[in-house]
Amino acid sequence: MDGPYSSGPSTGAAFQPLVDALLVGDHKRAAAVAQHLVEQGCSRERIVTEGLEHAMGLLDEKCTVESFNLLEIMLVGRAVSAVVRVLYPGGYAPTEGRATFVIATLEGDVHDLGKNIVRMVLAGKGFRVVDLGRDCPVGDLVSAAQHEGAAAVLVSGLISPVVSQVRKLRPALRACGLAHVPVVAGGAALKQLRPEALDVDYVAENAFDGAHYLERHVLGTPGS
Amino acid sequence: MNSLERILRATRLEPVDRTPLVPQLFGHAAITAGLSLRDYLHDGEALAHAQVLERERYRTDAVFAFLDFGVEAEALGAPLSFRADRYPDVVGCVLRAEDDPSRLRLPDPAAAGRMPVCLQALRAMRRRLGDDALVAGAVAGPMTTSAQLYGIENALYLAIDDPPRLAAALDFATRLAIAYGLAQLDAGAHAVIVFEPAASPAVVPPAFFREFVAPRLARVLGGLRDGGAAFTWLNIAGPTAGILDAYARIGADVATFDYYLSAAEACHLLPQTCLAGNLRSLDFLDAAPGVVEHQARELVVAFEGRSGFLLSSGCEIPPEAAAESIAAMAAALSVE
Ligand code: B12
Repeated sequence: MDGPYSSGPSTGAAFQPLVDALLVGDHKRAAAVAQHLVEQGCSRERIVTEGLEHAMGLLDEKCTVESFNLLEIMLVGRAVSAVVRVLYPGGYAPTEGRATFVIATLEGDVHDLGKNIVRMVLAGKGFRVVDLGRDCPVGDLVSAAQHEGAAAVLVSGLISPVVSQVRKLRPALRACGLAHVPVVAGGAALKQLRPEALDVDYVAENAFDGAHYLERHVLGTPGS
Repeated sequence: MNSLERILRATRLEPVDRTPLVPQLFGHAAITAGLSLRDYLHDGEALAHAQVLERERYRTDAVFAFLDFGVEAEALGAPLSFRADRYPDVVGCVLRAEDDPSRLRLPDPAAAGRMPVCLQALRAMRRRLGDDALVAGAVAGPMTTSAQLYGIENALYLAIDDPPRLAAALDFATRLAIAYGLAQLDAGAHAVIVFEPAASPAVVPPAFFREFVAPRLARVLGGLRDGGAAFTWLNIAGPTAGILDAYARIGADVATFDYYLSAAEACHLLPQTCLAGNLRSLDFLDAAPGVVEHQARELVVAFEGRSGFLLSSGCEIPPEAAAESIAAMAAALSVE
């Protein structure tokens, strides 16, 4: 039936139902539509680029620093995660995705809402994100960066005691031969400080701002 | 005018001899007293001792029996992980997304988890201070407790997936906050601060706050007032410009505002409510003491002629904050 899915050039319209389901945050419908697309023979890569990334681009345009509806983003994020689970039941493999990032909330900090949103936004943009959760020691983050071949290390910090831990990241990366791996920080406590004060490459205002930085400066591709 | 009288007058927007000094010094008192945070959070006598010491050291007008945001969930069976020098983490949820909150029973504040630590601290502080200074208790608001019971993401998703279930959780948490707060008043608290970080506009949109949270907060504050609280106090951190005006309707006599709002904006939104704020917590770590003193001084000036102001921080002053910075805030008042 839906020929365009299985072969030949497809129109963006074929992905509209997926984009719509994603943007209204209907995770069940998004997963079902993605499943249907897979069954029609549509490649996972195209579902990611024309479905997920497209929807994320639209959400991104809507979300400015002034108008940032967390709940809406979380719902889209949940729908994105549901689609990624359909496409990659075991998660993106290291060779899949546009690049790999490792992310964590550092030791002693339980705030993980922001981190989870960053993970979902980046997954929606086709990146593989290894999430080390919350309360993560600096050493674990650095060794994950090493094992996973991370293109960047991301840290989220909402309480002040994590500031000193963030400052330890770069020296720890350097000690493992990862001096070239950029560090991006975000979250209520860290974004009150400048990158130099934290010894990181960039301090993101929000998840999309961070994603833009990663797209432009880490991967050298223009942000959407 | 003693410390308690000064604060009470400020809560009624009456003239005071000087601006009350009520910084949010909680775990910081443990450090001052040479205690680990873990011990401080487990021993009411030690907590009381540290709070009294902290007040003497910085000549503040209040002491607080605030422990952490794990207390309510722990009293309902949630496992917490403690570390010597950090606030605890709720490591397992009491409710899964599909669980009905009606299976929960209200805990007995005299026996459940560390609630007795708080009550013991209040008794000890009141014994030491009598009516000289404000002895404040603390409870988590309904959204914060629900977030700790379900996990914050699941709690938020429930607002969309199953609003009646979230409403049931919030109603349960409302009853819990009242019961725990009344026990604190009974133990000697003059007032009980209601902390509701999970309903901050940093997390939920103002419309969500008005629909789900505000009516329940009104019940909590009303319950505490009926239970004999000298006044009510609502404390929500973050960018609260979109919800602050609702605090008066909710019944808050004192409203905390964070550094995201200016004093003028807060006064405009709540002309008849005592305001507490709004020094930046992180400045107590990073800024020079002179900067803190200058900002504190500017705040005092901004509220001149209004009364109805408690000099404070917009949220907790971090436990590792520098003593000089806290002293600098206090110094801003001594030159008044
Ligand atoms: C909700 C909340 C909680 C919840 C957290 C639930 C959870 N699982 O996350 C609960 C109630 C548990 C909680 C507990 C505590 N909290 Co709290 N909490 C908040 C609050 C109100 C909102 C935080 C939040 O979730 N925001 C929404 C998210 C989405 O925003 P975000 O994290 O900033 O993320 C966005 C961006 O910053 C960005 N981002 C974030 N990280 C990253 C990373 C990268 C790489 C990038 C690119 C982008 C990025 O993307 C996100 C989306 O755009 C803030 C107030 C505030 N102004 O932030 C206080 C706040 C963070 N908490 C604070 C404190 C003090 C605590 C406690 C220590 C209190 C206590 N005494 O027990 C405990 C923490 C215990 C611990 N060990 O950590 C202080 C921190 C002050 C400080 N300087 O240290 C704050 C600032 C205010 C306050 N008065 O409470 N809290």
